[in-house]
Amino acid sequence: MTGQAFFVLTALAAGPRHGYGIVGEVADLSHGQVKLKIGSLYGVLDRLATDGLIEPDREEAHDGRLRRYYRLTSDGRNALAQEASIRAATARVVRLRLGLAAGEAAG
Amino acid sequence: MSAGLERRYRRVLRLLPGYYRATWEEDMVAAFLDSALTGDPDDDEFTLEFGRPTWPEIASVADLAARLYLGGAGAPRRYLAWGQAVRGAVLAVIGVHAVVSLDALVRLAWIHRLLGVPAAPAGLLASTPAGILPPAVWYLGDCAWLMVFVTLILGRYWVARVYAALAIVPDLVWLLHGQFTGFLPATSLGPWSFWVLLSVVPVLALAAFHRDAPPAARWPWLLALPAAYLLVDVPLLALQVTGNSAWGPDDSGLFCLLVALACLAHAPRAWSGASAGSGVWSLTLALLAVVAGAYRIASLADYLHDPHLIRVSLAELLILTVAAALVAPDAARTARPAPPRPRPDQETLAY
Repeated sequence: MTGQAFFVLTALAAGPRHGYGIVGEVADLSHGQVKLKIGSLYGVLDRLATDGLIEPDREEAHDGRLRRYYRLTSDGRNALAQEASIRAATARVVRLRLGLAAGEAAG
Repeated sequence: MSAGLERRYRRVLRLLPGYYRATWEEDMVAAFLDSALTGDPDDDEFTLEFGRPTWPEIASVADLAARLYLGGAGAPRRYLAWGQAVRGAVLAVIGVHAVVSLDALVRLAWIHRLLGVPAAPAGLLASTPAGILPPAVWYLGDCAWLMVFVTLILGRYWVARVYAALAIVPDLVWLLHGQFTGFLPATSLGPWSFWVLLSVVPVLALAAFHRDAPPAARWPWLLALPAAYLLVDVPLLALQVTGNSAWGPDDSGLFCLLVALACLAHAPRAWSGASAGSGVWSLTLALLAVVAGAYRIASLADYLHDPHLIRVSLAELLILTVAAALVAPDAARTARPAPPRPRPDQETLAY
């Protein structure tokens, strides 16, 4: 799973979001490190929808335009949980190799 | 009527294939406008009327378009075929560079008796051209082409792009220096067409090697390098060391003949339609034929002083055209637009 896909799925883990909402949530989650352009976002969304990891939730009118919301599917939830485990295990190894205690890394 | 910013962004979105826009365009426009507006009515009115998509936004759409047109896993059949054909053609052309580079490094080893090889025959010449660049730069360029070929096959696409960007530089410096100093005649199109068609175009087409691209068949491509060296380069080397290099074709002629041979070898499969992958190979060969033909035509200008060489070049072009015509119908069938792939979520996502 690419870093962008991981962040998009994580952004949707808390609930359905529309395209620009996902961009903002990903920026927050990554502390501003990942700033998705719209072309990049929809490349990721298309891929995740094709793989059955996300699906449309609803559409809402906003300023005369329709905003489409997306949500995680159960496959998407499983894929995200699996990826999170892999990344957490990797992070544990990194902390061990750097000689950091579990709590130190956050500080 | 849509505001200026929306109109301009929709114009950018025309870079994307129709099937993709049918599903995602309205959503992309809404998300883009959301991202551009601040909530301040005055600012937003100005932005909507006079704003333009930023270059990074345009680049992200162009990158998405390249990935969709040169499709990978999960793409509609037509775009997957185009993607596979372009990837095959790029690997073939970069394979040619790798064989030429291997040849240069073997000559270097032979002439300087490196690695304990026996003394080189008197007729063997180093392959580095005269000019502003020292031989070491050419040999580094050769190593870079070999690395592009190997890293592409190993799936290290970003590494391949970096090596490719380095590999095309020596030729450009040599060409510019030759042109400005008069070392190259002003009408000499051959070296420039080689650089543009066989170096720059394939390097730009590396965009086809994106994360959705299926990996190349590793062993067949890796084995193709020594096989091509033994079957094509060694006979040419033999002609040179025996003083008969005039019998060999020039670079563009050789490229035409090799593509023509590949077309002839593939033609029975293309006509039988027995294999699903046949159309992709036909399209690959058609792309290579276009490049080889364009290179042959552009380098004709170098032979205007010699009617015999013009006749030989035209004969090579004719052979290439006839051979390519044998695979062209299969290539056209493969490249033809097909109905959009029914997506599992098509009904719910379409407006």
